[in-house]
Amino acid sequence: MTAGLPPVRVEQALRLLPEIEALAPLRAVLVAAARADNLAQWQSSAPYLTVGKRGVQPAELRPAIPRAVRRIAEHLSVLYDCYVQALECQQRRDGAGAVAALLRAGDREEAVGRLAPARAWYEVALTVSEGLQERRPEIETLRVLGHLALRQGHYAVAARAYQRSFVLAEAEFDQAGAIAACQGLGNVALAQGQWQGARAWCARGLRLAEAAGDAVRIGQIEHQLAVLALRQGDHATAVKHLGCGRERFEQLGDALEMARVLNTEGLLEAQLNRHSRASGAYLEALAWAHRRETDPGLEVSIRLNLAELYLQTGRPFEAEQEMRRAEELAIAQNLTSRLIQIYSLMGKLRGQQGDETGFVFFEQAIELCRTLDRAPVLEGQVYYEYGLFRSLLGQREEARAYLETAREMFESLGGGVELERVTSELQRISA
Amino acid sequence: MARPQAAGLTRARSETPPASPVEIRILAVGAESAMTQSIRQWAEEAGAQLRHAPDLPHAARLLASERWDLVLAALGERPDEELTWWVDALRNAEGGPRLIGLAHQPSMGLVLRAERLGVLDLLCLPVRREQLLHALELVRSAATQVRIPLPPVESHPVGPYALVGQSPAMLEVYKLIARVASSTATVLIQGESGTGKEVVARAIHLHGPRASGPFVAVNCAAIPENLLESELFGHEKGAFTGAVTRKIGRLEQATGSTLFLDEVADMSLTLQSKILRAVQEREIERVGGNETIAVDIRLIAATNRDLREAITAGRFREDLYYRLAVVTITLPRLEQRGDDLVQLTSHFVREFSLRYGKTIGCISERALELLRNHPWVGNVRELRNAVERAVIVATDDTLRAEHLPDELRAEEAALPPRAGSGLATLVDAEARHLARVLAHAGGQIGAAAEILGIHRNTLARKIKEYGL
Repeated sequence: MTAGLPPVRVEQALRLLPEIEALAPLRAVLVAAARADNLAQWQSSAPYLTVGKRGVQPAELRPAIPRAVRRIAEHLSVLYDCYVQALECQQRRDGAGAVAALLRAGDREEAVGRLAPARAWYEVALTVSEGLQERRPEIETLRVLGHLALRQGHYAVAARAYQRSFVLAEAEFDQAGAIAACQGLGNVALAQGQWQGARAWCARGLRLAEAAGDAVRIGQIEHQLAVLALRQGDHATAVKHLGCGRERFEQLGDALEMARVLNTEGLLEAQLNRHSRASGAYLEALAWAHRRETDPGLEVSIRLNLAELYLQTGRPFEAEQEMRRAEELAIAQNLTSRLIQIYSLMGKLRGQQGDETGFVFFEQAIELCRTLDRAPVLEGQVYYEYGLFRSLLGQREEARAYLETAREMFESLGGGVELERVTSELQRISA
Repeated sequence: MARPQAAGLTRARSETPPASPVEIRILAVGAESAMTQSIRQWAEEAGAQLRHAPDLPHAARLLASERWDLVLAALGERPDEELTWWVDALRNAEGGPRLIGLAHQPSMGLVLRAERLGVLDLLCLPVRREQLLHALELVRSAATQVRIPLPPVESHPVGPYALVGQSPAMLEVYKLIARVASSTATVLIQGESGTGKEVVARAIHLHGPRASGPFVAVNCAAIPENLLESELFGHEKGAFTGAVTRKIGRLEQATGSTLFLDEVADMSLTLQSKILRAVQEREIERVGGNETIAVDIRLIAATNRDLREAITAGRFREDLYYRLAVVTITLPRLEQRGDDLVQLTSHFVREFSLRYGKTIGCISERALELLRNHPWVGNVRELRNAVERAVIVATDDTLRAEHLPDELRAEEAALPPRAGSGLATLVDAEARHLARVLAHAGGQIGAAAEILGIHRNTLARKIKEYGL
């Protein structure tokens, strides 16, 4: 009989769960089922609450298990089905069909956040596609491999995949493939801080998209160019590209792309210190995002930007509220990587307030990186922010140690903007 | 029953009589229809100005660029989500416009949700003329609320906080602080969450012989269990994964001064025994270290739990309890402090007005009534929080009901008038009570069923039935 017993804390519940791959979905169920105690919101520890301090009632977890097992079974069933389809295609010498089936399996893995298995499916697809006379399956496979590598922070791998995809697409007169590769290469260059390269790839992609009359791609590349201009601090150019992107998507009635553009518009307005316009853009972005099937990741991103805006305008109270909403959403939707970003931002906020106990957010973020997400780029970003937090509190030795850890992580990923940032911060605190 | 006159409150009220009927600006949101035409006509007849936005994105633009008093929002296929969006959007909008939701056959769940969110009203489509006029009247009356000047407050600064209040219950606390501060005796402060345990601990430190040293506070519930030991006792470099440098623990940092252990009941039994040893032997060892370090600290501990019950349940060491409870101070709940509520409200309004660059000197009678009627489970912390939110959204010199957080505003909102007497039906009353209990239980059906004394399956059926 467990009625009336207090819930078990998530941090304790996770410690009871061995690090076994097959149990990963159970870990996710556990986190999603975690609840904050209503009365805990007024305790002095409330500002430091993280998912680890939430409670889980084993009895409430029990009914969730059959649902989780059913979802796993459905997932495996799709994967097995994709494999059999690939096999059938191979039997009737339909190589393109086999590649498509394998890519579908990888896509399903990627959709549930299983990036390493997704990569394994894509690599098999690549091997099959390389043996085909037809090049389009290989172009597509290289594109998804590039996208995945970019998501994982493996920039050099991503660049190689997109580059090959682009060359093949041009040779095959595959305009859609070439445009997608240009967009990918633009994104890789953006992530690495190679602004000229990013601009060149985006411009090329835009020319191709305009020639093909592909309105969605045009809008997306305009948006990409706006992001690039924003990173460079060229606000006038960013305004121009955002306007073009917005016009396209408004005509198309594409709610999610509109939300993305407006999210960037909010960032732009915030950089220009036009705070009420920035908050207006974010609210409109949320309105667009709610129009269709919501993309919870996008909503969390908008809310985090809104929180950053409040921080920027000296409204920590509202920033905290917005971050807590984002946290609630990220926990319910199992968006671990977003949760890690949220805790990193919460820690940053405490650092700005000179609150040493804020370290609990970074520790929670690192714990999540290790147990749930395993994305080195994200872990590197957390260590970087943790280092800044320690530095802000005057703890130089600890700051240096965390920044060194971040540097090692970014170096292992092949560099980029992040590595430059960490290195310059290390130089600054050593001076 | 009327409440007794609040101490320090000036009865001479200043009213703001409008020179002419207040012109209300209405933003109507939703697809253009014959209904919109009728609403526009009725609004204009009532002296209001109405503009129309076809959807949320357009409405967001209009909200960002103009000032509105009232938003009439037609709710679509996902009314719950839309309501939440609206409440977010209006919280940041200039002038703090009120919201009226319009829905076809709203479910009881939606009505209750609207009430919880502080929505002014939820009307069934098609809207009737008298319903709209009633809503406009509510908005107009809010604009002419009676204002009461906030009384001056005598506060005693305690670091970043202050001790405020002159209720008999607090006077007893002040006497105890004065008696215990001059010694170095260990003190245990008990009280519900938000009653000000840390403020009292700081006051004891600041009035004691070790006031020149730092006040080192550790929140035992905030720090993950596996890190709390190293936080308290420190660690040597490489003692465990993540021990990147040597760390001086909080006990060592507090040597010669005061260590405040907040939410002490949240400590594991193992750590409790380590703390007990440190207090008894006045020495510690860092995690992963061999060196014994002398510590001379004044210990103040606090908890919101019943430690005797925790001892009986085997969750707290009895010997540690007797070590901590040399002197015990129990803090009163906010509801036991009578008119301290007005004093505290006035203090917080001043504090946050200064912080956010506002000049608020008055509170509306309705806002004060709401504050007085709220149960304040989070005590002073909850009040502080509510006032901070209100100050942020306030636009002139008066803190009004509409500036208060949704939970408080929900207490003034009523369900849409029912046919006939306006009294709720038994079904309505049951649904509302179920919703309250569910909210109290954090949405946990098992816990809510236990409170209600019914089987969880019965509750689950009713939740479905009422659309909660």
